[in-house]
Amino acid sequence: MADKQLACMTCEPKGLCGGRGLLTLKDGAWANNPLAIQILGICSALAVTNRLENSLVMGAALIFVCVGSNLLVSLLRKHTPHRIRMIAEVAIIATFVIVFDQFLKAFYWDMSKQLGPYVGLIITNCIVMGRAEAFALQNPPILSIVDGVANGLGYAVILAIIGFFRELLGTGEIFGYEVLSGQWYAPNQLMILAPGAFFALGIVIAVFNAIKGPEPQENK
Amino acid sequence: MKGSLYALVYAAVLGAVCALLLTAAAGVTAPYRKANAEAEETLNILMVLNVPLEPDISAKQLGEVFKNNVREAERGGVTTYLYSSPEAQGRIQAIALRFSGPGLWGPIKGFLALEQDMKTIRGITFYEQEETPGLGGEIVTEGFRKNFVGKTIHDKDDNVGIVICKPGSAKQQNEIDGITGATMTCDKVQAMLNEAIKSIVEEKQ
Repeated sequence: MADKQLACMTCEPKGLCGGRGLLTLKDGAWANNPLAIQILGICSALAVTNRLENSLVMGAALIFVCVGSNLLVSLLRKHTPHRIRMIAEVAIIATFVIVFDQFLKAFYWDMSKQLGPYVGLIITNCIVMGRAEAFALQNPPILSIVDGVANGLGYAVILAIIGFFRELLGTGEIFGYEVLSGQWYAPNQLMILAPGAFFALGIVIAVFNAIKGPEPQENK
Repeated sequence: MKGSLYALVYAAVLGAVCALLLTAAAGVTAPYRKANAEAEETLNILMVLNVPLEPDISAKQLGEVFKNNVREAERGGVTTYLYSSPEAQGRIQAIALRFSGPGLWGPIKGFLALEQDMKTIRGITFYEQEETPGLGGEIVTEGFRKNFVGKTIHDKDDNVGIVICKPGSAKQQNEIDGITGATMTCDKVQAMLNEAIKSIVEEKQ
Protein backbone atom coordinates (compact mmCIF):
# COMPACT_ATOMS: atom_id res chain seq x y z
CA MET A 1 0.00 0.00 0.00
CA ALA A 2 1.07 3.57 -0.57
CA ASP A 3 2.16 4.04 3.02
CA LYS A 4 4.43 7.03 2.50
CA GLN A 5 1.73 8.96 0.79
CA LEU A 6 -0.90 8.25 3.41
CA ALA A 7 1.05 8.31 6.63
CA CYS A 8 2.09 11.95 6.17
CA MET A 9 1.49 13.37 9.63
CA THR A 10 3.21 16.70 9.15
CA CYS A 11 1.22 18.11 6.29
CA GLU A 12 -0.38 21.44 7.02
CA PRO A 13 -4.15 21.20 7.34
CA LYS A 14 -6.00 22.57 4.37
CA GLY A 15 -9.60 22.12 5.32
CA LEU A 16 -10.89 19.38 7.58
CA CYS A 17 -9.01 16.48 6.01
CA GLY A 18 -5.71 18.21 5.65
CA GLY A 19 -6.17 18.31 1.90
CA ARG A 20 -6.12 14.53 1.61
CA GLY A 21 -9.81 13.78 1.78
CA LEU A 22 -10.36 13.24 -1.92
CA LEU A 23 -7.24 11.14 -2.30
CA THR A 24 -8.30 8.99 0.66
CA LEU A 25 -11.79 8.58 -0.73
CA LYS A 26 -10.49 7.58 -4.16
CA ASP A 27 -7.91 5.27 -2.67
CA GLY A 28 -10.40 3.31 -0.59
CA ALA A 29 -13.25 3.15 -3.04
CA TRP A 30 -11.27 2.73 -6.25
CA ALA A 31 -7.47 2.51 -6.42
CA ASN A 32 -7.12 0.25 -3.39
CA ASN A 33 -10.61 -1.21 -3.39
CA PRO A 34 -10.70 -3.66 -0.47
CA LEU A 35 -12.55 -6.35 -2.41
CA ALA A 36 -11.34 -6.02 -5.98
CA ILE A 37 -7.71 -5.03 -5.38
CA GLN A 38 -6.84 -6.22 -1.89
CA ILE A 39 -9.17 -9.24 -2.06
CA LEU A 40 -10.22 -8.80 1.57
CA GLY A 41 -13.53 -9.71 3.13
CA ILE A 42 -14.58 -12.04 0.33
CA CYS A 43 -16.17 -14.56 2.70
CA SER A 44 -19.20 -12.39 3.28
CA ALA A 45 -19.10 -11.18 -0.33
CA LEU A 46 -19.62 -14.76 -1.44
CA ALA A 47 -22.14 -15.71 1.21
CA VAL A 48 -24.75 -12.96 1.28
CA THR A 49 -24.83 -11.78 -2.33
CA ASN A 50 -27.54 -14.11 -3.62
CA ARG A 51 -30.03 -11.23 -3.34
CA LEU A 52 -29.51 -7.56 -4.05
CA GLU A 53 -31.34 -6.56 -0.87
CA ASN A 54 -29.06 -8.71 1.27
CA SER A 55 -26.01 -7.24 -0.44
CA LEU A 56 -27.15 -3.68 0.22
CA VAL A 57 -27.86 -4.30 3.91
CA MET A 58 -24.51 -6.02 4.30
CA GLY A 59 -22.81 -3.08 2.56
CA ALA A 60 -24.59 -0.65 4.88
CA ALA A 61 -23.49 -2.70 7.88
CA LEU A 62 -19.88 -2.57 6.78
CA ILE A 63 -19.96 1.18 6.14
CA PHE A 64 -21.47 1.74 9.60
CA VAL A 65 -18.93 -0.47 11.36
CA CYS A 66 -15.95 0.80 9.37
CA VAL A 67 -16.81 4.46 9.98
CA GLY A 68 -17.52 3.91 13.66
CA SER A 69 -14.44 1.87 14.39
CA ASN A 70 -12.16 4.12 12.35
CA LEU A 71 -13.45 7.17 14.22
CA LEU A 72 -13.01 5.67 17.67
CA VAL A 73 -9.64 4.09 16.94
CA SER A 74 -8.43 7.38 15.54
CA LEU A 75 -9.72 9.38 18.52
CA LEU A 76 -7.97 7.02 20.92
CA ARG A 77 -4.84 6.56 18.83
CA LYS A 78 -2.58 8.71 21.02
CA HIS A 79 -3.78 7.08 24.23
CA THR A 80 -3.87 3.44 23.17
CA PRO A 81 -0.92 1.42 24.47
CA HIS A 82 0.83 -0.05 21.44
CA ARG A 83 0.93 -3.58 22.87
CA ILE A 84 -2.81 -3.95 23.30
CA ARG A 85 -3.91 -1.86 20.33
CA MET A 86 -5.30 -4.83 18.42
CA ILE A 87 -7.35 -6.01 21.40
CA ALA A 88 -8.70 -2.49 21.70
CA GLU A 89 -9.54 -2.42 17.98
CA VAL A 90 -11.39 -5.73 18.14
CA ALA A 91 -13.34 -4.58 21.20
CA ILE A 92 -14.41 -1.41 19.41
CA ILE A 93 -15.29 -3.24 16.18
CA ALA A 94 -17.24 -5.93 18.03
CA THR A 95 -19.26 -3.29 19.84
CA PHE A 96 -20.35 -1.63 16.62
CA VAL A 97 -21.11 -4.94 14.92
CA ILE A 98 -23.27 -6.18 17.78
CA VAL A 99 -25.13 -2.89 17.98
CA PHE A 100 -25.95 -3.19 14.25
CA ASP A 101 -26.92 -6.84 14.66
CA GLN A 102 -29.31 -6.00 17.49
CA PHE A 103 -30.78 -3.19 15.43
CA LEU A 104 -31.47 -5.62 12.56
CA LYS A 105 -32.94 -8.20 14.92
CA ALA A 106 -35.26 -5.57 16.38
CA PHE A 107 -36.45 -3.75 13.26
CA TYR A 108 -35.58 -5.93 10.24
CA TRP A 109 -36.22 -9.41 11.56
CA ASP A 110 -36.59 -11.12 8.19
CA MET A 111 -33.39 -9.57 6.91
CA SER A 112 -31.61 -10.56 10.09
CA LYS A 113 -32.76 -14.15 9.59
CA GLN A 114 -31.53 -14.19 6.00
CA LEU A 115 -28.11 -12.76 6.81
CA GLY A 116 -27.81 -15.19 9.71
CA PRO A 117 -24.34 -15.27 11.23
CA TYR A 118 -22.76 -13.04 8.58
CA VAL A 119 -23.54 -9.76 10.33
CA GLY A 120 -21.79 -11.00 13.46
CA LEU A 121 -18.90 -12.20 11.33
CA ILE A 122 -18.13 -8.61 10.30
CA ILE A 123 -16.11 -8.57 13.53
CA THR A 124 -13.58 -10.78 11.78
CA ASN A 125 -13.86 -8.99 8.45
CA CYS A 126 -10.31 -8.13 7.39
CA ILE A 127 -11.38 -4.82 5.88
CA VAL A 128 -12.54 -3.28 9.17
CA MET A 129 -9.54 -4.39 11.20
CA GLY A 130 -7.21 -3.60 8.32
CA ARG A 131 -8.42 -0.01 8.06
CA ALA A 132 -8.21 0.50 11.83
CA GLU A 133 -4.68 -0.87 11.89
CA ALA A 134 -3.35 0.64 8.66
CA PHE A 135 -5.14 3.96 8.61
CA ALA A 136 -7.02 5.10 11.70
CA LEU A 137 -4.06 4.48 14.02
CA GLN A 138 -1.95 7.02 12.11
CA ASN A 139 -4.52 9.57 10.99
CA PRO A 140 -6.79 12.22 12.49
CA PRO A 141 -10.46 11.39 13.17
CA ILE A 142 -12.19 13.17 10.28
CA LEU A 143 -9.83 11.79 7.69
CA SER A 144 -10.35 8.35 9.26
CA ILE A 145 -14.10 8.73 8.81
CA VAL A 146 -13.50 9.50 5.14
CA ASP A 147 -11.36 6.39 4.88
CA GLY A 148 -14.06 4.32 6.57
CA VAL A 149 -16.73 5.62 4.19
CA ALA A 150 -14.44 5.04 1.20
CA ASN A 151 -13.60 1.45 2.06
CA GLY A 152 -17.13 0.66 3.14
CA LEU A 153 -18.41 2.05 -0.15
CA GLY A 154 -15.78 0.18 -2.12
CA TYR A 155 -17.04 -3.02 -0.51
CA ALA A 156 -20.75 -2.17 -0.70
CA VAL A 157 -20.70 -1.23 -4.39
CA ILE A 158 -18.96 -4.44 -5.43
CA LEU A 159 -21.39 -6.43 -3.27
CA ALA A 160 -24.33 -4.65 -4.87
CA ILE A 161 -23.02 -5.42 -8.37
CA ILE A 162 -22.57 -9.10 -7.54
CA GLY A 163 -25.95 -9.22 -5.78
CA PHE A 164 -27.64 -7.56 -8.76
CA PHE A 165 -26.38 -10.09 -11.29
CA ARG A 166 -26.81 -13.11 -9.04
CA GLU A 167 -30.41 -12.25 -8.24
CA LEU A 168 -31.19 -11.27 -11.85
CA LEU A 169 -29.71 -14.38 -13.43
CA GLY A 170 -30.50 -16.74 -10.58
CA THR A 171 -34.17 -15.89 -10.09
CA GLY A 172 -35.03 -13.47 -12.90
CA GLU A 173 -36.00 -10.92 -10.23
CA ILE A 174 -34.66 -7.68 -8.77
CA PHE A 175 -35.67 -6.83 -5.19
CA GLY A 176 -38.11 -9.72 -5.51
CA TYR A 177 -39.90 -8.19 -8.54
CA GLU A 178 -39.92 -10.18 -11.75
CA VAL A 179 -37.71 -8.60 -14.41
CA LEU A 180 -36.89 -11.47 -16.72
CA SER A 181 -40.19 -13.12 -17.53
CA GLY A 182 -40.51 -16.75 -16.63
CA GLN A 183 -42.07 -17.37 -20.02
CA TRP A 184 -38.80 -17.07 -21.88
CA TYR A 185 -36.16 -17.00 -19.16
CA ALA A 186 -35.19 -20.13 -17.25
CA PRO A 187 -33.60 -19.01 -13.93
CA ASN A 188 -30.05 -20.26 -13.59
CA GLN A 189 -29.98 -21.89 -10.16
CA LEU A 190 -26.20 -21.97 -10.22
CA MET A 191 -26.06 -18.22 -9.66
CA ILE A 192 -27.99 -18.54 -6.38
CA LEU A 193 -25.79 -21.35 -5.08
CA ALA A 194 -22.29 -20.93 -3.68
CA PRO A 195 -20.37 -21.76 -6.90
CA GLY A 196 -22.22 -18.95 -8.67
CA ALA A 197 -20.80 -16.52 -6.11
CA PHE A 198 -17.26 -17.55 -7.01
CA PHE A 199 -17.91 -17.07 -10.72
CA ALA A 200 -19.59 -13.72 -10.15
CA LEU A 201 -16.89 -12.40 -7.81
CA GLY A 202 -14.12 -13.58 -10.16
CA ILE A 203 -15.70 -11.88 -13.14
CA VAL A 204 -16.34 -8.65 -11.22
CA ILE A 205 -12.73 -8.53 -10.01
CA ALA A 206 -11.44 -9.21 -13.54
CA VAL A 207 -13.63 -6.49 -15.06
CA PHE A 208 -12.69 -4.05 -12.27
CA ASN A 209 -9.00 -4.61 -12.88
CA ALA A 210 -9.39 -4.41 -16.64
CA ILE A 211 -11.08 -0.99 -16.32
CA LYS A 212 -8.64 0.28 -13.71
CA GLY A 213 -5.57 -0.82 -15.65
CA PRO A 214 -2.28 -2.03 -14.22
CA GLU A 215 -0.83 -0.54 -11.04
CA PRO A 216 1.57 2.24 -12.14
CA GLN A 217 3.90 1.86 -9.16
CA GLU A 218 4.63 -1.74 -9.97
CA ASN A 219 6.23 -0.81 -13.29
CA LYS A 220 8.93 1.25 -11.67
CA MET B 1 5.88 -1.76 34.92
CA LYS B 2 4.24 1.63 34.69
CA GLY B 3 3.38 0.89 31.06
CA SER B 4 1.75 -2.39 31.98
CA LEU B 5 -0.40 -0.78 34.61
CA TYR B 6 -1.52 1.84 32.13
CA ALA B 7 -2.37 -0.85 29.57
CA LEU B 8 -4.40 -2.72 32.18
CA VAL B 9 -6.33 0.36 33.22
CA TYR B 10 -6.87 1.32 29.59
CA ALA B 11 -8.21 -2.13 28.74
CA ALA B 12 -10.50 -2.10 31.76
CA VAL B 13 -11.92 1.32 30.93
CA LEU B 14 -12.38 0.51 27.24
CA GLY B 15 -13.99 -2.81 28.13
CA ALA B 16 -16.36 -1.14 30.57
CA VAL B 17 -17.38 1.53 28.04
CA CYS B 18 -18.00 -1.10 25.33
CA ALA B 19 -19.99 -3.21 27.77
CA LEU B 20 -22.11 -0.20 28.72
CA LEU B 21 -22.83 0.58 25.07
CA LEU B 22 -23.81 -3.02 24.39
CA THR B 23 -26.03 -3.18 27.44
CA ALA B 24 -27.77 0.00 26.34
CA ALA B 25 -28.27 -1.31 22.80
CA ALA B 26 -29.57 -4.65 24.07
CA GLY B 27 -31.91 -2.93 26.50
CA VAL B 28 -33.40 -0.61 23.90
CA THR B 29 -33.98 -3.34 21.33
CA ALA B 30 -35.06 -6.07 23.75
CA PRO B 31 -38.87 -5.57 23.52
CA TYR B 32 -38.74 -5.49 19.71
CA ARG B 33 -36.55 -8.57 19.50
CA LYS B 34 -38.82 -10.41 21.90
CA ALA B 35 -41.90 -9.51 19.87
CA ASN B 36 -40.19 -10.70 16.69
CA ALA B 37 -39.18 -13.98 18.27
CA GLU B 38 -42.74 -14.52 19.53
CA ALA B 39 -44.24 -13.78 16.12
CA GLU B 40 -41.80 -16.25 14.60
CA GLU B 41 -42.92 -18.90 17.08
CA THR B 42 -46.60 -18.20 16.44
CA LEU B 43 -46.03 -18.45 12.70
CA ASN B 44 -44.27 -21.77 13.16
CA ILE B 45 -47.08 -23.21 15.27
CA LEU B 46 -49.68 -22.14 12.71
CA MET B 47 -47.58 -23.52 9.86
CA VAL B 48 -46.99 -26.88 11.49
CA LEU B 49 -50.69 -27.24 12.31
CA ASN B 50 -51.41 -26.41 8.68
CA VAL B 51 -53.76 -23.60 9.63
CA PRO B 52 -54.75 -21.80 6.42
CA LEU B 53 -52.89 -18.47 6.27
CA GLU B 54 -53.03 -15.61 3.83
CA PRO B 55 -49.68 -14.79 2.26
CA ASP B 56 -47.89 -11.64 3.56
CA ILE B 57 -49.81 -11.72 6.80
CA SER B 58 -48.85 -9.13 9.41
CA ALA B 59 -47.68 -10.00 12.89
CA LYS B 60 -50.88 -8.59 14.39
CA GLN B 61 -53.17 -10.62 12.13
CA LEU B 62 -51.03 -13.63 12.91
CA GLY B 63 -51.78 -13.20 16.59
CA GLU B 64 -55.51 -13.03 15.85
CA VAL B 65 -55.50 -16.15 13.69
CA PHE B 66 -53.63 -17.87 16.47
CA LYS B 67 -56.15 -16.80 19.10
CA ASN B 68 -59.12 -17.91 16.99
CA ASN B 69 -57.77 -21.32 16.04
CA VAL B 70 -55.31 -22.53 18.59
CA ARG B 71 -55.38 -22.98 22.32
CA GLU B 72 -52.58 -24.02 24.60
CA ALA B 73 -52.93 -26.96 26.92
CA GLU B 74 -50.51 -28.34 29.46
CA ARG B 75 -50.07 -32.11 29.24
CA GLY B 76 -47.70 -33.42 31.85
CA GLY B 77 -44.61 -31.34 31.43
CA VAL B 78 -45.29 -30.59 27.77
CA THR B 79 -47.07 -27.57 26.39
CA THR B 80 -49.26 -28.62 23.49
CA TYR B 81 -51.13 -26.52 20.99
CA LEU B 82 -54.59 -27.72 20.01
CA TYR B 83 -55.94 -26.69 16.63
CA SER B 84 -59.68 -26.24 16.50
CA SER B 85 -60.93 -23.81 13.89
CA PRO B 86 -64.16 -21.85 14.57
CA GLU B 87 -65.98 -23.99 11.98
CA ALA B 88 -65.01 -27.21 13.77
CA GLN B 89 -66.93 -26.14 16.89
CA GLY B 90 -64.58 -27.40 19.55
CA ARG B 91 -63.52 -30.56 17.74
CA ILE B 92 -59.75 -30.84 17.86
CA GLN B 93 -58.30 -31.15 14.37
CA ALA B 94 -54.64 -31.45 15.19
CA ILE B 95 -52.18 -31.10 18.01
CA ALA B 96 -48.70 -29.62 18.01
CA LEU B 97 -45.93 -30.03 20.53
CA ARG B 98 -42.66 -28.31 21.00
CA PHE B 99 -39.43 -30.28 20.91
CA SER B 100 -35.87 -29.22 21.50
CA GLY B 101 -32.48 -30.72 22.08
CA PRO B 102 -28.82 -30.43 21.26
CA GLY B 103 -27.91 -30.44 17.58
CA LEU B 104 -24.45 -30.84 16.12
CA TRP B 105 -23.35 -27.24 16.73
CA GLY B 106 -26.09 -25.68 18.81
CA PRO B 107 -29.61 -26.21 20.08
CA ILE B 108 -32.34 -27.32 17.68
CA LYS B 109 -35.92 -26.26 18.44
CA GLY B 110 -39.10 -26.88 16.54
CA PHE B 111 -42.69 -28.07 16.52
CA LEU B 112 -44.17 -31.43 15.62
CA ALA B 113 -47.84 -31.67 14.70
CA LEU B 114 -49.97 -34.79 14.90
CA GLU B 115 -53.35 -35.46 13.32
CA GLN B 116 -56.36 -35.86 15.60
CA ASP B 117 -55.75 -39.63 15.81
CA MET B 118 -52.57 -38.71 17.74
CA LYS B 119 -50.63 -41.17 15.62
CA THR B 120 -50.09 -39.68 12.21
CA ILE B 121 -47.60 -36.86 11.71
CA ARG B 122 -49.20 -33.76 10.21
CA GLY B 123 -46.07 -31.68 9.87
CA ILE B 124 -42.82 -30.50 11.39
CA THR B 125 -41.00 -27.17 11.56
CA PHE B 126 -37.67 -26.04 12.94
CA TYR B 127 -37.49 -22.46 14.20
CA GLU B 128 -34.03 -22.51 15.68
CA GLN B 129 -30.98 -24.42 14.48
CA GLU B 130 -27.31 -23.83 13.78
CA GLU B 131 -26.53 -26.97 11.78
CA THR B 132 -23.93 -27.03 8.99
CA PRO B 133 -25.34 -25.00 6.09
CA GLY B 134 -25.97 -27.24 3.09
CA LEU B 135 -25.84 -30.46 5.14
CA GLY B 136 -27.55 -30.54 8.54
CA GLY B 137 -29.00 -27.10 7.82
CA GLU B 138 -31.16 -28.75 5.18
CA ILE B 139 -33.53 -29.93 7.94
CA VAL B 140 -35.39 -26.65 7.54
CA THR B 141 -36.09 -27.24 3.86
CA GLU B 142 -39.52 -28.25 2.65
CA GLY B 143 -37.94 -31.24 0.90
CA PHE B 144 -36.87 -32.81 4.17
CA ARG B 145 -39.82 -31.73 6.27
CA LYS B 146 -42.40 -33.20 3.91
CA ASN B 147 -40.83 -36.64 4.41
CA PHE B 148 -42.48 -36.62 7.83
CA VAL B 149 -46.01 -35.96 6.64
CA GLY B 150 -48.26 -39.02 6.83
CA LYS B 151 -45.80 -41.14 8.82
CA THR B 152 -46.82 -42.54 12.19
CA ILE B 153 -45.16 -42.16 15.55
CA HIS B 154 -45.01 -45.91 16.16
CA ASP B 155 -44.15 -48.94 14.07
CA LYS B 156 -46.62 -51.63 13.02
CA ASP B 157 -46.13 -53.48 16.34
CA ASP B 158 -47.09 -50.32 18.26
CA ASN B 159 -43.57 -49.63 19.52
CA VAL B 160 -43.42 -45.88 20.04
CA GLY B 161 -40.74 -43.95 18.19
CA ILE B 162 -39.70 -42.79 14.77
CA VAL B 163 -36.55 -43.63 12.81
CA ILE B 164 -34.74 -41.22 10.53
CA CYS B 165 -32.87 -43.53 8.20
CA LYS B 166 -30.62 -43.28 5.16
CA PRO B 167 -32.15 -41.34 2.29
CA GLY B 168 -34.26 -43.60 0.10
CA SER B 169 -34.43 -46.51 2.56
CA ALA B 170 -37.58 -45.53 4.46
CA LYS B 171 -40.02 -48.45 4.13
CA GLN B 172 -41.86 -48.82 7.43
CA GLN B 173 -44.65 -46.50 8.47
CA ASN B 174 -42.46 -44.88 11.12
CA GLU B 175 -39.31 -44.54 8.99
CA ILE B 176 -38.36 -41.19 7.53
CA ASP B 177 -35.81 -40.47 4.81
CA GLY B 178 -32.86 -38.54 6.23
CA ILE B 179 -30.33 -36.24 4.61
CA THR B 180 -27.14 -37.36 2.89
CA GLY B 181 -24.06 -36.15 4.76
CA ALA B 182 -26.04 -35.15 7.83
CA THR B 183 -26.19 -38.40 9.78
CA MET B 184 -25.22 -36.76 13.07
CA THR B 185 -27.89 -34.08 12.77
CA CYS B 186 -30.51 -36.68 11.78
CA ASP B 187 -29.61 -38.89 14.75
CA LYS B 188 -29.94 -35.96 17.13
CA VAL B 189 -33.24 -34.83 15.62
CA GLN B 190 -34.52 -38.40 15.88
CA ALA B 191 -33.52 -38.55 19.56
CA MET B 192 -35.19 -35.28 20.49
CA LEU B 193 -38.34 -36.13 18.53
CA ASN B 194 -38.63 -39.53 20.18
CA GLU B 195 -38.24 -37.93 23.58
CA ALA B 196 -41.08 -35.52 22.85
CA ILE B 197 -43.24 -38.26 21.34
CA LYS B 198 -42.69 -40.54 24.34
CA SER B 199 -43.63 -37.83 26.81
CA ILE B 200 -46.92 -37.18 25.05
CA VAL B 201 -47.78 -40.86 24.53
CA GLU B 202 -47.08 -41.67 28.17
CA GLU B 203 -49.22 -38.76 29.20
CA LYS B 204 -52.12 -40.08 27.16
CA GLN B 205 -52.13 -43.50 28.84
